[in-house]
Amino acid sequence: MDISRRKFFKISAAAGGMAACAGVRPAQAREAIVPDPNWYGMLNDSALCIGCKACQSACKIENKLPMESSLGDDKQFGAPIYDSPRGLSEHTYTLIQLHQDDSGKPTFVKRQCMHCVDPACASACIVGALKKQPTGDVKYDAGMCMGCRYCMVACPYNVPQFEWHKAIPVISKCTLCNETRLKKNQPTACSTACPVGAITFGKREDLLRLAKQRIKEQPEVYLDHVYGETEVGGTNVLHLTKKNVSFASLGLPAFGHKGVAILTESIQHRVFQYFIPPIAIYSILGGVMYLNQKRKKNAGTLGGDDEY
Amino acid sequence: MSIKAAPLRQKFFTTNVYILLAFMAAGAVFAFFRFFYGFGSVTNLNASYPFGIWIAFDVACGVALAAGGFTTSAIVEIFGREKYHSLVRPAVLTAFIGYFLVGLAVFFDLGKYYNIWHALVYWNGTSVLFEVAWCVMLYLTVLGIENIPAVVEQFKGNVHLPGQLASFNRPADWLLGKADVFCRRAMAFFIVLGVVLSFGHQSSLGTMMLVAPYKLHELWYTPLSPLLFLTSAVSVGLPMVIFEGTLAAKFFGRKPETELLGSIAKYIPYFLGTYLLLRMGDLAYRGVLPKAFDGSLQGWAFLLEFALFATPYFLLKRRSFRYDPTRLFLCACSVICAVVLNRFNVFLIGMDMGPARNYFPSVGEFSVTFAFIAFGVLLYKIGVNYLPILEEEHGTAHPAAVQAQPQPAVAAEMQSSAA
Repeated sequence: MDISRRKFFKISAAAGGMAACAGVRPAQAREAIVPDPNWYGMLNDSALCIGCKACQSACKIENKLPMESSLGDDKQFGAPIYDSPRGLSEHTYTLIQLHQDDSGKPTFVKRQCMHCVDPACASACIVGALKKQPTGDVKYDAGMCMGCRYCMVACPYNVPQFEWHKAIPVISKCTLCNETRLKKNQPTACSTACPVGAITFGKREDLLRLAKQRIKEQPEVYLDHVYGETEVGGTNVLHLTKKNVSFASLGLPAFGHKGVAILTESIQHRVFQYFIPPIAIYSILGGVMYLNQKRKKNAGTLGGDDEY
Repeated sequence: MSIKAAPLRQKFFTTNVYILLAFMAAGAVFAFFRFFYGFGSVTNLNASYPFGIWIAFDVACGVALAAGGFTTSAIVEIFGREKYHSLVRPAVLTAFIGYFLVGLAVFFDLGKYYNIWHALVYWNGTSVLFEVAWCVMLYLTVLGIENIPAVVEQFKGNVHLPGQLASFNRPADWLLGKADVFCRRAMAFFIVLGVVLSFGHQSSLGTMMLVAPYKLHELWYTPLSPLLFLTSAVSVGLPMVIFEGTLAAKFFGRKPETELLGSIAKYIPYFLGTYLLLRMGDLAYRGVLPKAFDGSLQGWAFLLEFALFATPYFLLKRRSFRYDPTRLFLCACSVICAVVLNRFNVFLIGMDMGPARNYFPSVGEFSVTFAFIAFGVLLYKIGVNYLPILEEEHGTAHPAAVQAQPQPAVAAEMQSSAA
């Protein structure tokens, strides 16, 4: 029984087709995750924020983070100053950023881990060092981490930061003060520090209600949208903005409403569902190999001195 | 098999070997700083580009370029194309070296490299990396087993350890005997397993960057990505065999296997055709083809990638190109460049992080990558020199007259500068 070239490719195509059907059809995508009513979060109100950066300082003190000097201000003032960092870093878990609209009016936005409802980082982490907690925060376990930085790739907000200048680096990001404060029934350090009430700590459900109430009561002040209600499957940290300032201009892009990792999870799930696709490919290839061995045996060419 | 494979037994320390060692020494210097002073002291990695060429080239391209192992063993062992038997051992050895280097590169790239074993213990089934890690690890084991016959053939009944170690001669020989029996009984199982595992992680590497839908450029962000990665890896398998075969013939002063390589090259257009069909179909279906012509860096990178894939597809259909060693080699290089550029596009160039976010590999990153390539070439030389990998040639052997510098490194440099 000779397998012609044509047949060879037919079989290859069949095997490839199997793999294709198995791998790339996210037909029944994984279901969206429903937020737990007990999850905590924060509401950051950019219409109220005055940009004093008290939250930034409070965060540094709470998490014992060193000061940064990204603009060389230690040379100018003799010491690094708290509000120096330009972006999130391994020493900065939260940050107030300024946006100026066309009229020159400033709007401030708070950058931090969004503690997503369906966190892409947790889905991506190879060892599960990032996990959504019952309290609602996404917790990072440095002892488990291998430092592969896939979470940084996965995060749509570029939140996880890496210690580029340490011999043994780990990831760092906002913890929602889980260990230091939540466990003692205290609100987050940044929300306590805010002098104008622009940061509200509470359960996600209550915060959502509060945000919608603010929009309803002052429709002339607020844009009619709560950022994080549905973006990337929902976030525990919600944002409000001024009527004429879009979220996108504040660095909060108009992301879709699906969890970021749903596609990869669906593909992985497809490929390994009950191990059917790998076993199917194995059986096909094994069968082809068996037939060829049999053919060679019959022809008397099997088992040369170095058959393999 | 009338012709048997045999070790080359050539002079080991040639000029080329010293060049390889120099590359490795340079890489080792930068590796020292990376391990003791952090990534920041060596790499240009940053918060926007946490993956650099150590992932894009050493891992993603390394895995793809090691595809020669599973494609050749599938064609010969599974689909029974006995004619190409002599190509299997070099391909499987190269694949083993390739995957070993991928593992080493991952070790270099992990922040807490000593936690690498956590992948075995802490399972996160939703992670694409988890699957890649397991498949790569298992496949490296399978490749190790697939290389045992060469070791057994060389040393069974022929173990002569020097000096004090001589007392281990008999246990070592006993072990080789056991390994021989094991291989004869179980090799078929491992050959098929190797192909299935390759299917698994070659495709999963394509799934990896799909976790970042808002970062990866539309030209590469497609649910079909795993299948495209798999088919392009299959396509680059034989070109890699041709690439290595041609260079090995040149550097070891052997007669080029034009007839055999030209003959096996006839499969390449089928593989490339499948890939190109899927790629075009996907782009057309999603309607993103105009993006290729918008004049952006990503657009040009895509066009170059596509041209490098398509040209050898048309050329290798002709006999006149397949049986001409130079043309065949250039076509093989084109496919290799295409796959390398494709992986760079997915892992680096296509990752659009917004304005003022940049990454270009540092001298240190290039040095470490070149050191890995040099190490790979050196391991290959050790392998073919002391183990029966290459079949004894049909003509007479020329003494190795070698002076040019290691070609793979040059090819890699070409790729990297394209990034």
